[in-house]
Amino acid sequence: MNRLSKIFFTLSAIILSIPAWAQQRFPKPEFETGYVQPATSQTSPRLLFLEYLDVFVLMAALAVATWFVVKKRSRRGVMWTSVFSLLYFGFYREGCICSIGAIQNITLAIFDPAYVLPLTALLFFLLPLVVSLFYGRTFCAGVCPLGAIQDLVAFRPIELPKWLQKVLGMIPYLYLGLAILYAATRSEFLICRYDPFVGFFRFDADFQMLLLGGLFLLVGIFVARPYCRFFCPYGVLLGWMSTFSKKHMQITPSNCIQCKLCANSCPFGAIEKPVEEEGNRRTNVQRLMTYLFFIPLWIGIGGLAGSALHVPLAKFNKTVYLAEQLVVHPEFKQDPDHLDARAFMQSGKSMDTLVEEAKAIRSQFYWGGWLLGGFMGLVVGLTLVKLASHRNRKDYEPDKTNCLSCGRCMDYCPVKN
Amino acid sequence: MLVNSKLGTVNFMEGKDKLKQTDKLKLARIIAWGAAIFSLIVSVMLIANYLQLKMVDPLESPALKLLVEQLHENPNDDVLKENIRALDLLIRKAYFTSQWQIRTGAYLLIFGVLVFVLAVRYQKSLRSGLEELESIEKDPFLDKQLARKWLVFSSAGFFVLALLAGFSSSNILDQYEPETVEEKLADNQVEVIEVQPVATPEPVAAEPEVEESPDENLATETEEEHAEEAEPVAVKEEKAADPTSAEVQPAIPSKEEFRKNYPFFRGPDGDGISYKMNVPEKWDMASGDQVLWKVKVPKHGYNSPIVWGDQLFVSGADQEAREVYCYHATSGDLLWTAQANQIQGSPAKMPKVTEDTGLAAPTMATNGQAVFALFGTGDLLATDMNGKRVWAKNLGVPDNHYGHSSSLIIFKDKLIVQYDTNRGSKVMALSTVDGSTQWETTRKVNISWASPVLADVEGKPQLILTADPLVAGYDPETGKELWTVDCMMGEVGPSVGYTNGVVYAANEYAILAAIKIGATAEVIWEESEYLPEVASPLAVDGFLLIATSYGVVACYNATDGTKYWEQEYADGIYASPVYAEGKVYVMDMGGNLHVIRLGKEFELVAESALGEKAVCAPVFANGRMYLRGFDQLYCIGK
Ligand code: SF4
Ligand code: SF4
Repeated sequence: MNRLSKIFFTLSAIILSIPAWAQQRFPKPEFETGYVQPATSQTSPRLLFLEYLDVFVLMAALAVATWFVVKKRSRRGVMWTSVFSLLYFGFYREGCICSIGAIQNITLAIFDPAYVLPLTALLFFLLPLVVSLFYGRTFCAGVCPLGAIQDLVAFRPIELPKWLQKVLGMIPYLYLGLAILYAATRSEFLICRYDPFVGFFRFDADFQMLLLGGLFLLVGIFVARPYCRFFCPYGVLLGWMSTFSKKHMQITPSNCIQCKLCANSCPFGAIEKPVEEEGNRRTNVQRLMTYLFFIPLWIGIGGLAGSALHVPLAKFNKTVYLAEQLVVHPEFKQDPDHLDARAFMQSGKSMDTLVEEAKAIRSQFYWGGWLLGGFMGLVVGLTLVKLASHRNRKDYEPDKTNCLSCGRCMDYCPVKN
Repeated sequence: MLVNSKLGTVNFMEGKDKLKQTDKLKLARIIAWGAAIFSLIVSVMLIANYLQLKMVDPLESPALKLLVEQLHENPNDDVLKENIRALDLLIRKAYFTSQWQIRTGAYLLIFGVLVFVLAVRYQKSLRSGLEELESIEKDPFLDKQLARKWLVFSSAGFFVLALLAGFSSSNILDQYEPETVEEKLADNQVEVIEVQPVATPEPVAAEPEVEESPDENLATETEEEHAEEAEPVAVKEEKAADPTSAEVQPAIPSKEEFRKNYPFFRGPDGDGISYKMNVPEKWDMASGDQVLWKVKVPKHGYNSPIVWGDQLFVSGADQEAREVYCYHATSGDLLWTAQANQIQGSPAKMPKVTEDTGLAAPTMATNGQAVFALFGTGDLLATDMNGKRVWAKNLGVPDNHYGHSSSLIIFKDKLIVQYDTNRGSKVMALSTVDGSTQWETTRKVNISWASPVLADVEGKPQLILTADPLVAGYDPETGKELWTVDCMMGEVGPSVGYTNGVVYAANEYAILAAIKIGATAEVIWEESEYLPEVASPLAVDGFLLIATSYGVVACYNATDGTKYWEQEYADGIYASPVYAEGKVYVMDMGGNLHVIRLGKEFELVAESALGEKAVCAPVFANGRMYLRGFDQLYCIGK
C-alpha cells in the first residue's frame, strides 16, 4: 500500500511541475556579463499544450480508476486515484475545466452558433460518459474532484430511507434541466455559479459559497456524498449511461453466495438486494399499468407548471432583469452608480428595443419552461413506474444507475476470486 | 491487500509486521492530532486577523481623519502633511500585510484539514474490520410503496406550487407601453440624437422634429422681457427680422481680431493661451484694491466669461429659465439679458443633471457679430451683440448623466459643437449666420465633457477633440477626420493642450499622453503620476502644466515628459490653468488664484483670494482680468 501511495504522490508531483518546465524549457545562456536574467512572466491564457495535458490527465485518471475498480478490484487504489484527482483537478486546476460544468458549454454551443466550443470542454464532457457507458461511473469514483472531496469526509455514513432518497433524487434532474435552460437562453452558467466546492479549490469565494461548501462537507460526514447523489446534474447523465454498461463492477468476483455481508456496506444506498415478488401478481400488474397510464398526465402537469413559471424564471436573465427594473424605476436610467443601466444608456439602445429583447428572451423561457416541466413530469412518471414494477433478483448487485463504483462493497465480499 | 479480519484470512502475520501495523496506526494518529491542533490554531488566528482587518479600513482611520481635519485648518503645515502621508502609508501597509496573512492562513488551514482527513482515512483503512453503515429496517415491498406515495405527493405539491407561483408573479414587462413622443419629451429621454454619418452641408429645415404645441410654452413662459419675440413662435428656426444680419453676409473676423478679444473657453484658440499684455496679477478683496467691480449673476452657471470689445458675456440657467447676460466690461453694468426659450424641440421638463455641472456649463462663443450659448437642454441660442435673437434651435436633449458641458468654438463662419452623449457622439459645424448644418461627423467615442480646441498644425487649422477612447483631429472646413489615437479612457473632462505640433491629452485614472501630429499621429511619451479630472492641460513654450482635482499643479518638459516641479494646494483644481505674458494662472476651487512664473523652477508671482468658490478659468481682456466665482463676476485691474 505504501508503495502505491508513494507512486501516486511522485506522479502528481511530476505532473504538477510540468508547467514549470513549460516556462523554462530552454536553458538560460550563460553569458559572463553580470546581466541578471529577468524572471519569465507567465502568459495569462493557459497554454494549449497545458489544456491538452488536462485532457491527457483526465484520460489517464479515468483509465487508472477504471482499472482499479473493474480489473484490480482495489478500493484503496481508487481512493488514492481520487486523492490525486482532487489535488490536480481540484486544487491545482482550481475546479475549472470540469465535466459537470461542460454540460453548459455543450448546451451553449448547440443554441448559440457564435459560440466556439473548446475541444477540451467537449472531451471533458464526452470521455467520462463514454467510459461510463462501458464500465460504469468510475469517473465518480476516482476522477471527479467534487466527488473525491466528499468521499474523503464520509466518516460516519448513515442510511437514508428509500422514500427520502427517491424524493431528493429528483433534484439533480431539475438542476440539470435548469442548467440547460439557463445556458440555452444565454442567461447564466448556473452550475459554475453555485458550485459549492470551488471556493475551497480556489482559496477564495464569497462567504456564502464557502458556507454552503462547508455545509455540504458537514452533512457529508453522515450522508455520504450529498452533492453527488442529490444535486449533481452530470451524475444524471452518467447514471443513464451506466445503466447500460456491460462491464460494470460487481460486488463479487464470481458467484454471490448470499452471505449478506455486503448488504449494509454501500454508503450511497446503491446495493440492490435479492427480491421475490410480493403481493398479488394481478394487482401488481394493474398498478404498473395505472402508473404507465399516468405518465402523459405527469408530463402535462409538469409542462404547464414549468411554462407558468417562465416569468419568475426569466428574472434571472440579466437583460430581462434590467428591463423590468427600468420599467418600474425609470429614474435608474439617470443613476450614474447603476452600472447596468449606464451600460445600457451608453449602448444607445432605446427602451423600446430593450423591452422587445427582454420579451423575446422571456418567450424562450416560456417554451423552455414547457420542456423543462414536461421533462420533470416524465422523470417523475418513469420513477414511479420503476417503483411500481418488479424484477426478480437473486443476488446482491449494485444498482448500476446510482452506483458510484467506489469499490467499498467489494472488500466485504468473502469470495475473493 | 486489505486485512479482512471477519474471515480471519490474514491472521498469520509475523510479529514484525504486526509491530509495524501498530506503529503505523500510532503515527497516523499523531499526524491526525497534530494536523487537527494545527488547523485549530490557524483558524483561531485567521478569525482574529479577519476581525482586526474589519476594523482597520484604510480609508476610515479616525486618527487619519483627525489629521486631515487639522490640515484643513492649517493648509500650509508641511509637517502635518508629512505626518498624514506617513500614517496613511503605515495603515495601508498594515492592511495589505494582514490581507496577505489571511490568504496564507487560508492556505495553511486547508492544508491542515487535508492532512487531518487523509490521516484519519489512512488510520481507518489500517484498522482491521470493515465498518457497517448505521442501518435501518428495510422491506423492499413496503419501502417502494412508501417511496411511491412520497414521490407522488411531493411532485404534485411541487408542480402545484410552481403553478401558483407562476400565476401570482406579476408580469412587469407587459405593463410597459412603448413611449410616445410626448412622453419622451416630457421624460427628456426620447430626443434621441440621430447621429448620421453625413458630412454634407444640409439645409436647415431637414430636421425630423416633432411638432410640439407651442401654446403650452407660451402659457408658461414669461413674456414681459422680450415682447418682440412673441411673434414667430412655431417657426422652426427663427431668423432675424433685422435685415442687416440676415441679408448681408458679414465679414469673417480675422485671427488677429479673435486674439485681440477673448471669444471662447480658454482663449482665442481654446488652448488656454492668451496673447494679452499687462495683465493684472493680484488684488485684495478686503480693501477693494484692484477690484474694479463685482456683480452677482442672476442665474447660476459654471461657464467662463467671454469678452468682445467692451462687452462681456456669461450664461446662467436653472429649472425655470436659461439666460444669456451681457455686461459692460468696464463698468460691470448689465446691458441686456436674452432668454433661450420657445425653441422648437426644447424639453418641457429639464433633464436631470448633477449639482456640480448644472444646465449652463458650456462656455459661450462670439465672433463679434453674434454670441452663441448652449445649454444642458440642448438649446442653442444665437443673438446679435444687442441681445436680439438671430436664430435658435434645439440640438436634441443630450443624454448626459452629469449634464452637457462641452463649450462652443468658432472657426470662420462655423460654430463648432462637440456633442458626445450617451446616445452616440458627433461633432458638427453650424452656420454662424443661420444655424444651418455645414457638416456633421459621427464619432466612434463614448460620452465626454471636453471641449474642442483649434490648433495650427503646420500652417493649417485643425480641430482637436478628446474622449474615451480616441483623441482625434478634424479638418474644421469639412469635418473630415484626419487622425485618431486610441489612448484615452473613462469620463473625459479635460480638453487637450496643444503646442508646437504636439497634442497633450489627459484624464484622471487614464493617462497623460503627448501625441505628435503631422502626417501621422503617434504617442511620443506618456505619464501617469498626476492626472487631471476636470482642468485641461496647458501646453506652452515647451512646458506642460497639469492641475489635478486634489490640488497638485505639476510642470513637465513638454518635449520628453520629464517633470520640472510640482506644487500642492489645499484646495482641488477644476478651472483650467491659463497662460498670459509668461505666467500661468491657476484658480483653485477655494477661489484662490495662484499666479506662477512659467519656468523650470517653481516661482510664485502672486496669490489672491476671491472669497468664494470658483471653478472658472480667469479671462483676460482690455488689460483687465475677469473672474467668475460661484455667484459673482469680478473685474480685476487698475
Ligand atoms: S456524481 Fe457528479 S459530483 Fe459526484 S462524483 Fe459523479 S460527477 Fe462528480
Ligand atoms: S461500488 Fe459498491 S459501495 Fe460503491 S457505490 Fe457502488 S454499490 Fe455502493
